[in-house]
Amino acid sequence: MNTIHKIIGTWALPLLVVSGVLLAGCQNGQQIGSSDDAASKVYVAPGEHDEFYGFFSGGYNGQLGIYGLPSGRHLFTVPVFSQAPVNGYGYSEETKAMLNTSHGFVPWGDAHHPELSQTNGETDGRWIFINENNTPRVARIGLDDFKTQEIIEIPNSAGNHASPFVTPNTEYISAATRFSIPMDDKDMQNMDVPIDSYKENFRGTLSFIKVSDKGKMNIDFQILMPGFDYDLSHAGKGPSDGWSFFTSYNSEEANTLLEINASKNDKDFIAAVNWKKAAEYVKQGKGTMMPGEHVRNYIDHEEGGIAKSETIEEVRVLDPRKLDGLVYFLPTPKSPHGVDVDPSGKYIVAGGKLSTVIPVHSFAKMKKAIENEEFEGEVMGVPVLNYDSILYGEVENPGLGPLHTEFDGKGNAYTTAFISSEIVKWDIEKTEVVDRINTYYSPGHLMIPGGDSQKPDGKYLVALNKITKDRYLPTGPEMFHSAQLIDISGEKMKLLLDFPTEGEPHYAQGIAAEKVIENQKRFYKLEDNGHPDAITSEKQARVERDGNEVHIYMTAIRSHFTPDNIEGVKVGDEVYFHITNLEQDWDVPHGFAIKGANNAELLIMPGETLSFKWEPQKEGVFPFYCTDFCSALHQEMQGYVRVSPKGSDVEIAYGTGQ
Amino acid sequence: MASVLFVGCGGSGNGDQASDQSSQENENGLSSFEQKNGIGPVTEKLDLGEIDKELAKKGQNMFETKCSACHKMDERYVGPQLRNTTEERTPEYVMNMILNPAEMVKKHPEAKKKLAEFMTPMPNQNLSQEEARSIVEFLRYMNKNQDVDEI
Amino acid sequence: MSKKNRLWMALASLMLILVYFFPLWGISMEAPQYPEGIGMNITVNDITGKEPHDLGNINGLNHYIGMKAITPDSIPELKIMPYIFAFLIATGLMIALWGSRKWIVVWLGLFVLLAIAGLVDFYIWGYDYGHNLNPNAPIKVPGMTYQPPLIGSKQLLNINATSLPHIGFYVALISMGIASMVWWKEGKTDDGGKSEKTMNNNTRKAA
Repeated sequence: MNTIHKIIGTWALPLLVVSGVLLAGCQNGQQIGSSDDAASKVYVAPGEHDEFYGFFSGGYNGQLGIYGLPSGRHLFTVPVFSQAPVNGYGYSEETKAMLNTSHGFVPWGDAHHPELSQTNGETDGRWIFINENNTPRVARIGLDDFKTQEIIEIPNSAGNHASPFVTPNTEYISAATRFSIPMDDKDMQNMDVPIDSYKENFRGTLSFIKVSDKGKMNIDFQILMPGFDYDLSHAGKGPSDGWSFFTSYNSEEANTLLEINASKNDKDFIAAVNWKKAAEYVKQGKGTMMPGEHVRNYIDHEEGGIAKSETIEEVRVLDPRKLDGLVYFLPTPKSPHGVDVDPSGKYIVAGGKLSTVIPVHSFAKMKKAIENEEFEGEVMGVPVLNYDSILYGEVENPGLGPLHTEFDGKGNAYTTAFISSEIVKWDIEKTEVVDRINTYYSPGHLMIPGGDSQKPDGKYLVALNKITKDRYLPTGPEMFHSAQLIDISGEKMKLLLDFPTEGEPHYAQGIAAEKVIENQKRFYKLEDNGHPDAITSEKQARVERDGNEVHIYMTAIRSHFTPDNIEGVKVGDEVYFHITNLEQDWDVPHGFAIKGANNAELLIMPGETLSFKWEPQKEGVFPFYCTDFCSALHQEMQGYVRVSPKGSDVEIAYGTGQ
Repeated sequence: MASVLFVGCGGSGNGDQASDQSSQENENGLSSFEQKNGIGPVTEKLDLGEIDKELAKKGQNMFETKCSACHKMDERYVGPQLRNTTEERTPEYVMNMILNPAEMVKKHPEAKKKLAEFMTPMPNQNLSQEEARSIVEFLRYMNKNQDVDEI
Repeated sequence: MSKKNRLWMALASLMLILVYFFPLWGISMEAPQYPEGIGMNITVNDITGKEPHDLGNINGLNHYIGMKAITPDSIPELKIMPYIFAFLIATGLMIALWGSRKWIVVWLGLFVLLAIAGLVDFYIWGYDYGHNLNPNAPIKVPGMTYQPPLIGSKQLLNINATSLPHIGFYVALISMGIASMVWWKEGKTDDGGKSEKTMNNNTRKAA
């Protein structure tokens, strides 16, 4: 009896859904994906965990969004390149320096491409890197505490778009100029020249950032390039390990109305860089040390958790006109955007966004063409290989505006077609389209967990759509971007889920959750707190005056601050609250805010010390309180600072519970 | 099951809320009227008469704010040049292209060709029928007066 | 005492060394906010959290109801207990060496008395912590006390506290058991064949 009920139970709903579709007719074609079957595939029951972490760049919010897959639940946002009032990142005394650049403090960034660290060509869950496009930078985020640990600026660059793509053992990450800029041949400096002297003066650079075992980044070398726009990149793997590929457009070297003027040539180039050779040249001391002022900021919780900035004045530059075998150009149709290397490392796929085919280059053929010097020209010392000598095949009818490709590890590639708003699945060896699915609307990147590594998890694909329109309840003219989860486990792709994403995710990366969970920090150990202004017990709480600086060493624990009554502060003082959260339990942060502060709140994790600067403008008594609902007596977690007029003789006094 | 249904709906079941007004269809799924005059709100032949300069002038203002960022008269720009458009296309086609571009570039063979050539889909600028009509008048004027750039 | 039984008695004493490595008693607590549980262990000389920071967190929770902080340093029994066990080990070994059945009873009696005293002491401490509350506590529930159960589970507001013996306590029990067995076996060998018969009868009956 029971079994029969169960069978009827499980079949009743799909039948209803199917008949609903039939009734609604073909107009609702787009809804068919959201059948009961799809619902069960993305359903993660309360208390259960998702199978994958999805790391979505925040685009113009400058942050990194963390989503669970397949549920599409938004789990967290890591502040990276933009100040985050939500927790005080970029405001607190400890984190301000993370946003230092050679242009001074930059409070905002445009984050495009998250890239997981890899070991042996496989994502390893140590770090995730992300680029900043506007003021060229690359950040490293630790996957142990989901915090930005390091940001390095890229000198001699503008529009750091082709970044940060890793080599199979995270030896290097890439950074290239999307905008070429005038560079003096002698000292690489940006020049005050007429913009229409572009062809003569403008240059690009491809930078290689070395990553140490502990994650520390430094710019090992830059390669000076013709003044094209370098768009995207991927490192070779397997047989092509040792090479990196960068797409370029605007080989016309136009400086105005690129929409038209950079779309004229039938072919632009993919730059193939032999980075192993470059690294050898560097070892031999070749290339030239050039001025290249850039700032590196890093924060280490074991070393006190205070961001430090250092300025590096020079960078090594390799010039392909002087060093052989460094770079080759692979002619590629019509302003290629993405360049993706399949898991076998044998094929290099270009997304020629204005092209009607997807060209697939063969790495083996490329090597042969280099050996046989099958060149059809040279640009600024870079040999241009013969298109027909390197081409493996062209995928016909891939949709309009092909942009990006990822792989499932089962011999298939998946390419987004922006203009025709679809994802096209094709067989890599046969270069033949085998399936296609509409997306809503206009996908830019797509993501398969591990889909750009040697070991993809070919179960789900996420389309990162650029246009949302009517997919959700309307929110006025501005709305979140739409991501779509597609099941790629079978022969046919199936649309499972729409979910909105914060900012404008350009690219995303995914990783099996278990690779990340095992390294998770739950709180910082008080005994390891190396912050110079930390106090580890209430007994050490105190207020000290040093000229017009007042330092308040404060503790926070459920549900009080110590001290919570402070007097003797005067108008014109610079007041620093150094607050240590004494909790040693998971998920018990305390917040701190004080009335009228021209600043953001602090959100202090258990065992952490953060500092808040306050310059009181008026006399009176100012309340402060905990902003994170920490306990049943959270509303009681508050205090007062008395501010007296300048020159008043009120002495410093403080306490809690007296 | 779902995929079978999907195919059953025709390869490009793309969820456009198509206004279905055709009775006889040819191989494109378009009626012969649509084939010639485009798909959109203009479903009947218009009676144009002589060029109305007043209306063309209104059309020019409209063109400058809503169209000229992408279209020029005599030169390929983001979109095609328009000097002789009224000779190549019916006025109804031009209006439907203005008023219903998303569906046009998806379904109409001529509009599809143009999209493949220019790669930037024409956006919907949300004009009224009267405004679109005034642009037709402006384009007719520009076609008749080949050497002028404005009225 | 036979050589075999002397070895058994030595084992009963020596195994008490394990008490220094495993907790004697454990109290674990469950609450919705602690999905993975939180708890503390009582060892021969200390009270520790089941996870490194549990004790601090328990004290943090307890301050709401006005319970004193549990600070191992302020509990003198924890300083004495290691010596008590050292004494039991040493005397047990001496008995094994000496081979006196009579002294086993004395040793056992002392052991049992100490164990009971320990439990009573534990109860008194529990009573003190649970009843002797700060009158200015933020949370005061009229008539509510927070004494943890001596053994078993008890719901204390939102927390379900379970108090159970831990490995060390079971080690002590087994040690007592072995010593009792030695005493009993020796009793039979002292009486010669007579008691062997009884045993045979007993075994038959049991079968």
